[in-house]
Amino acid sequence: MKNPLLLVLISIVLLPLAVRPAIASEIWIFAIFGLGLNLLLGYTGLLSFGQGTFFGSAAYVAGWLLKYYGINVFLALGVGMGVGALSALAVGYLCVQRSGLYFIMLTFALNQLFYFVAYQWTSVTGGEDGMPGVPRPAMLGIDFSSPLVYYAFVSAIFLLSLLLMKRIVESPLGKILVAIRENEVRAGAVGFHVPRFKLLAFVIGGAFSGLAGVLYAMLFGIVPLESISFVTSGNVVFATLIGGSGSLYGPIIGSVVFIWLSESMSNVWARWPLLLGVAFVIVVLFFRGGVVEAWDRLFSRRKISPSRSAH
Amino acid sequence: MNLLFGQILNGIATGMLYALMGLGLSLITGVLNIPNFAHGALFAVGAYLLATVSGYLGNFWLGLLIAPFGIALLGLAIEYLGVRRLYAAGHDYQLLFTFGLALILSEGIILVWGPVGFSHLPPPILRGGVDLGFTFYPKYRLFVMAAAGLLVVLTYLFLEKTKYGAIMRAGIENKEMVSLLGIDIHKLFTVAFALGAYLAGIAGALTAPIRGLSPGMGVDMLGIAFVVVALGGLGNLLGAIAAGILIGVAQAVVAAYWIEASTAVIFAVMALVLLVRPQGLFGIR
Repeated sequence: MKNPLLLVLISIVLLPLAVRPAIASEIWIFAIFGLGLNLLLGYTGLLSFGQGTFFGSAAYVAGWLLKYYGINVFLALGVGMGVGALSALAVGYLCVQRSGLYFIMLTFALNQLFYFVAYQWTSVTGGEDGMPGVPRPAMLGIDFSSPLVYYAFVSAIFLLSLLLMKRIVESPLGKILVAIRENEVRAGAVGFHVPRFKLLAFVIGGAFSGLAGVLYAMLFGIVPLESISFVTSGNVVFATLIGGSGSLYGPIIGSVVFIWLSESMSNVWARWPLLLGVAFVIVVLFFRGGVVEAWDRLFSRRKISPSRSAH
Repeated sequence: MNLLFGQILNGIATGMLYALMGLGLSLITGVLNIPNFAHGALFAVGAYLLATVSGYLGNFWLGLLIAPFGIALLGLAIEYLGVRRLYAAGHDYQLLFTFGLALILSEGIILVWGPVGFSHLPPPILRGGVDLGFTFYPKYRLFVMAAAGLLVVLTYLFLEKTKYGAIMRAGIENKEMVSLLGIDIHKLFTVAFALGAYLAGIAGALTAPIRGLSPGMGVDMLGIAFVVVALGGLGNLLGAIAAGILIGVAQAVVAAYWIEASTAVIFAVMALVLLVRPQGLFGIR
């Protein structure tokens, strides 16, 4: 893992050879979603179980505008990020005032609010049937309807998101968020307005979620009700934890594993979430730390590094 | 006007069930300091267990007695075999674990009882209604109100008047101190989880004849239990009752005029309360 960025680039090129372009696109879309969550979970130490709120809201709003007003793809992405950020601002405002377990429960409960609104507002969202007919309009002579072209587009957006997130976590803002994770009281004592920074992390994470939501809606041409449900919120948490929330690249690895697993398993057995549940239980009881840490452990067993044994 | 009174009564009945859910969750969450995402699934399995046991024995009352104990045992096993190993892990892994359990339980429900919901009749003696003067009201709902009320009172007496209840409250306040005083904190954790699971199980069992059974009932209830705890405060009995009844009545009254919004309103009420009082109804952090 000397140069993770290079590995990501190679994976982007190789992935469509291994899986269908649609699945490959879904993997990077989910990785964008995971990057946004991990700013909260990994860097700020905020476990949000409501990221589906921003993902789904953005997908509905931008999908609606694409469908009925024929806006162009880039405008749709911008709208998605805006809706994601705004909904995250509203939800975050209520959540960051509470901490710990209350915070987790509030993000879930507010997710339910958005879910039930989408569920019942059938004239707009289509309720349980979802909102079909989201187009991928051609732009600047590029025909996005081809799966591979769209894959390239998604990959480019994913790379940009990754670089942007890298900048964010390496910036002073990123350091402040880590300081809040490590010791909230001390971060406050040093003079940082902790709730405001938490909210900022929430809004940035929401924008990433919204971006992913729009890309997702355009990928499948539909906004399924599930996209705004706790299932989506849970999946991104699981994918991030599978990959390991301790690093920038964790959620990317997690997305590859999670989407690939879920797409291949859900075709085999409709009750595959049962196996997922069993897997969670086993992973938590025996393999905490995710893929990245498991890799590290495997690696360090072969070649014990002095810095590690010093811990 | 009579419709409104009837709906307020309905709201109190479901609100008491919400309070039971919140109370159980708040015991587990408060004492063990873990996010219990399996709480809704325990509720759902409780309902299904009631339907099966009372169907098998041909007696609703035995089912109501046995099913929640089954859930308490399940809770005991969950704590003893799994949650116990996770106290040192972060909330993220605890969440992954309890959510994994919820997936196993809710998919298990579909495997055992099928994906299609069904209804479950109350016992013959509680079918039909009684005339309350201003409205004709189903007997079973009155029973639920009384039963849930009794359970809340019993939980209150246990927590406030018994020694072990006092230890449990102390466990919510300060685990280290309780442990330092020579009390077996692990046993306390197991008891708290089993008791919380019991309350979820009996809330599910009582709900079955009102709303019927469906695989999705657990997750819907999970969100509601979170609302009760967020508004009422961890380990706050009065808070759980007030929050349960508040959202129960709000839901029932809205359902009378705008049925589509009746579930969303639960969460909207929570958002509104938190907007005015971020610390919840009784100001507990």
